[in-house]
Formats: sequence, C-alpha cells, structure tokens
Amino acid sequence: MEVKEEQVGGVTVLQVKGRLDSTTSPMLGERLTAVLEAAKARVLVDFSQLEYISSAGFRILLQAAKRADQNTAKFVLCGVSGKVRQLFDLGGFLDLFSITSTREEGIAAAQ
Amino acid sequence: MATMSARKPASVVYGVDEAPPIGVTLLSGLQHIGIISIALVYPLLIARAAHLSVEQTSDILAATMLVLGVGAVLQSLPRGPVGARYLCPPVCTAAYLDPALFAVKAGGLPLAFGMTAFGGLIETALSRLLRPLRPYLPTEISGLVVVLIAVSMCNLGFRNLLGIGASQPVDLAEHIVAALTLATMVGLSVWSKGTPRLFCALIGMILGYMMAAITGTLTWVDLETVETAQYFSVPNFAAYGWSWDAGFAIPFAVAALGTCIRGMGDITICQKINDDDWVRPNMRSVSGGLLANGLSNVLGGLLGGHGVSTYTSSVGLAAATGVTSRRVGYAIGGIFVLLAFLPKASALLLIMPRPVIGAALLFTAVIIFVNGLQIITSRLLDARRTFVIGLAFMAGIAVDFYPGFFGKLPAEMLAIFGSALVMGTLVALALNLIFRLGVRKTQELTIDPSRLDPVAIEAFMEARGAEWGARRDVIDRASFDLTQSVETIVESCEPRGSLEIEASFDEFNLDVRVSYSGPPLELPEKRPTNEEIMESEEGQRRLAGFMLRRYADRVAATHRGGRSTIQFHFDH
Repeated sequence: MEVKEEQVGGVTVLQVKGRLDSTTSPMLGERLTAVLEAAKARVLVDFSQLEYISSAGFRILLQAAKRADQNTAKFVLCGVSGKVRQLFDLGGFLDLFSITSTREEGIAAAQ
Repeated sequence: MATMSARKPASVVYGVDEAPPIGVTLLSGLQHIGIISIALVYPLLIARAAHLSVEQTSDILAATMLVLGVGAVLQSLPRGPVGARYLCPPVCTAAYLDPALFAVKAGGLPLAFGMTAFGGLIETALSRLLRPLRPYLPTEISGLVVVLIAVSMCNLGFRNLLGIGASQPVDLAEHIVAALTLATMVGLSVWSKGTPRLFCALIGMILGYMMAAITGTLTWVDLETVETAQYFSVPNFAAYGWSWDAGFAIPFAVAALGTCIRGMGDITICQKINDDDWVRPNMRSVSGGLLANGLSNVLGGLLGGHGVSTYTSSVGLAAATGVTSRRVGYAIGGIFVLLAFLPKASALLLIMPRPVIGAALLFTAVIIFVNGLQIITSRLLDARRTFVIGLAFMAGIAVDFYPGFFGKLPAEMLAIFGSALVMGTLVALALNLIFRLGVRKTQELTIDPSRLDPVAIEAFMEARGAEWGARRDVIDRASFDLTQSVETIVESCEPRGSLEIEASFDEFNLDVRVSYSGPPLELPEKRPTNEEIMESEEGQRRLAGFMLRRYADRVAATHRGGRSTIQFHFDH
C-alpha cells in the first residue's frame, strides 16, 4: 500500500493506493493519528485507487472518525467506488462516514 | 411466480405486475412496435428473394405480424408453463434469415416455412433441456451469437446501401436518403431527450420515406401500391405449404440454438431490470420464455411467416422508459394482430426504400453489436475461451469476407458455410467442447501462514475464474471471502501447519473451502457495534466473520478432530 500526502486549500489529502488489510492498515492508522492530532484538522482520504479493504482497514477508519469527533476535526472520504464501495455497504459503513464522490467535493466538504 | 419475491427498482415506474393507465400502455406498446417493425425488412427480403407479388408479400408480412402479436402475449402470460412472464416481445430475427434465404433458393417458400417450423420445434425441445445443456452454452458464446447476428445485419445493410447483388445500381439520391436516415436515427438517439429519443428509429424511417419520395427513390408506382391496398382483409395464411430437407436441418437447428442463446440473455435482463434483489437467472422463467418463442416459430412456419426471437432493444427500451408492465406486452400483441388484417399498413412497409432498409439495419446492428460485446466481456476469459471466441468470430466473418470462395459450395453446404452466424456458432460450440478437455473443475491451493501473500490468493481466484469462464462479480465476492478469511484465520486462530484451499465450480455453483488445524472462526449473524470494533481485536474479528457470512450466498463452519473448515457457497 502507498499513502501520498498533500495539502490542498488547507485540507490534508491522503491518497491511498493498493490494499488496506491487517498488514498495511497500521501504517495508514499512524498517518491518520498524526494528521488528526491537531485541533480542527481538515482531512480527506482519497480511496479512488484503493483495491481492497478488510475488517482491519475499517477498524482504523472508525478509530480515525472517533478521533476527529473528539478534536472537532473534519474527516471525509472520497473515491469509494466499485468493489470497495460494495465492502463499505456490506459492513454497514456507508452511512457512518462522510463520503463524497469526487476529490473536489471532498475538499469542499472538509474545508 | 418469477416476480413474487422481486423488489421493484426505483427506476421502474410501472413494474411487471402493475397496471399503467391505458394511454401509457398503448403509447408504450406503439413505441415497441416502432422498433420491432424495423426488422420486418427480413420477411420483405424473403419475399423479394422468392419474387412474390405485392399481395403475396402482404400475406407473408401479415403472417409474421400475427406471430409477433401472439408471441408478445405468450411471453407476458403471468402463469402456466409458457412464457417468460415479462414484457419481452419478439422481433423478426436475422438468425433465421440466412437459412431461410438459402432454403428459398434451394426449395422455394415451402422449404423455408417447413424448416422454420422445424426450428421452432428444436427451440421447444431445447427449452426443456436448459439445465443439462448450460455448460455447453456458456455466456460468452451467447455474446458471440449476438455479435454474429449484428455482423449478418451489417452485411445485409451494406448490401442494400451499396446495391450489391441488385439489378439496379445505387444512385447518388439513394446515398443521400441513406445518410440522412441514419444520421437522424443516430442524432436523435445521442442528442435528443424524451419522446424524440424513444422514437428515434421510427422518426428516422419516416424521414427516410419522405426524402425518398422527394428524391424520386420512392416512385408513384410504389405509392400506388399503398393507395390500392385494402383497409381490411383476411390474409391468405399458409398459402405455400411446407416441405422438409435434411440438408437444411443443421442451419435451422443452429438458428434455433442461436435464438435460444439470445433468449436466455434477454430474459435474464428482463428479470434483472425488474428486481433490485436479482442474484441469478430464474431458469423457470427463461425456460418458459424459450418455449413461448419456439411455439411462436412453429406457428410462424405453419402460417407462412418469418422466424422470431426475443429482442434486446425492446428489453432496453422497457428499462429506459421504466414501463415494464406485462400489460404493454398484451397491447403490443393486440396491435400486431390488428395490423395483420390491415393490408394498407403492410403495404407501407412493403415499399420501404432500399436506402431506408440499409440505414435501419445498420442502426440496429450497431446496438446489437455493442450488446454482444458487453455479454462477452461480462465473463472472465482465459486463453482457451479467448480462442473459442476469437477463432469462431473470425471463421464467421471469413464467410462474409470471401463470398467468392464460399459461394461455390453446393446448396446444402452453403446453408452451413454460407452464413457467418451459422459458421461462427458451430465453430464456437465445437471449440468449446474441445477446450473443455483438461479443465479441472476443482483446484487446490496450499498457504503457508508464515508467508501470507493476499495478492497470490486473489491471483489464484482470478485465474480459476478465467479458466472456468465464471462471472466477474461472483469471483470478486469469492476472492474477498477467501482473502479475508485466510487473513483472519492466520491472525486470530493460530493455525498449526498450512491452510488448504479447495475451489470447485460448475455453471451453477462456486464453492470455496478453507480448512486448517486450529480453533474455528466465528461467523456471527449480527454485526458487532462500532465500539466493539474499535476497542478490541475481538470486535474486528467478529466484523470479519460477519462480512464473510454476508458476502457468500451460504456459509458453513465445522470443527472436527482439531481441524476447522469453512465452506463458502456462491450461486452462479
């Protein structure tokens, strides 16, 4: 898995590429913990290049969303489509996160 | 009932069991008749090949319209063994066109009609044998058949547009009429909305008629044919009798098979567009639909009409408009039966100008061609299946590429080797049989827990799926369940020794079994709460088990003698 980080309009965008499973999710978890540390952080996770997500990946996302709530930060997901979207649906996660279709909408939602 | 447990999609305005207002029912029926009528050029081509008079041609058109009407009603019947139980009206099919043209050449109309009835009987028999035959008629071959039907239509279209084989050469005015007709159909389909888009083919044809009249392509003699035709008359059905020739059994059997294969696809789409919870084809509905089409073709042969099949474009029209009520099927049936007794309507079709026929054929061929490609690519294709489809397609189009070579064959052989559809389908069926040799329906994989490689596990499922020609969505689900289960077992069940994977497939089932020495994996029916998932690894494991259970159609976990097994079943 690769995580590319960039700043766009005051929003930290994490582009995740590859597989988010028990082996790789700790790495994303650490990145999310670091960026959500600051109060009122603005974070967008772009999943448009994500190929697979397991229960370990969902756990990391739930923990990040909780941390964002505690720090009054914004935590948004985008690019959740195809097979990955089916898995979000299957696990009952589609309504739990703030999810936008495109990166631009995601940045606007996180600002 | 095919539709009792169905969940109506939001895009469907009037579902299959619902009753739209009478105006909507009739207008929807007329729209379907508009696109179905394009293919009435096939019986016209048969009539022209047999050098029939205007009145005789009207009889063939009337018989065909009657069959189209009866077929539309049969497909819509809500109960009984006959019919798909959906709005799935028939259309004249190109599958029967080449064999019928060869039959007319060799034995006249009696042979064409006798063999069409024979084709109908073959369809009727095939409808009862669907389940055992399914492995020999894989989905990608049904896509190939649809593509080859489009190729046959395209060939005929260009023959009309370029005047190939005609006594009179095509002049500039005809090219202009053809170009405007095709441009109107395509333009309205791409850039318009609402009614013009729904009626794009019909509007294009009407414009083509008008342009043909203005440019002189449609003559006063043609228009007099319509003027002198009666408003109402009882057609002379079954005027030519029937005959049989064993030499034509194979081409008509292939036409019947092609029609059945196409019908399986169309009826499956009907089921899918009427049910948000659709998972797999309802074979009772498919079988009933093929039986209805077979009986329609027996009737067509007996009455002296052209062969019919289900119509992908009609199914697409129903999906696009959201009107899928079976009452529209009854309306189509009623209108077609009425038209059969109105010679003026037949005469209007009878004088259809050559460039309009060509443009209409090309327009529908394009839609059917892309439909066929989509069906082929819905399955995973390995090298074997790639060669089955590729070689069969090339063998089919070789017939059209080299008519000089194939045209020299004797009439009986010409019926097989002179048609791209028949040739391509036979090559595909033969290659499919040959390439089935050596394909193992059960495959194993051993996983060392200390070297877990999820990508290799996915590659294993992907390769097996391609070898078996399985549906991509089913392989994706199986791949997730396999990868997630192995990952969870390795992390939380401390397996002793390696994990054994066994995947087996037939056309109806995909089963994946994971066995290992260690405690069983929990597969809860209830999702753990978000707090449970976040706060403990146990919660995460239970989430994994819950998702595994939900993604498979059936799942079973057993533990015997220290060895645990999880069995995932996916309906295919």
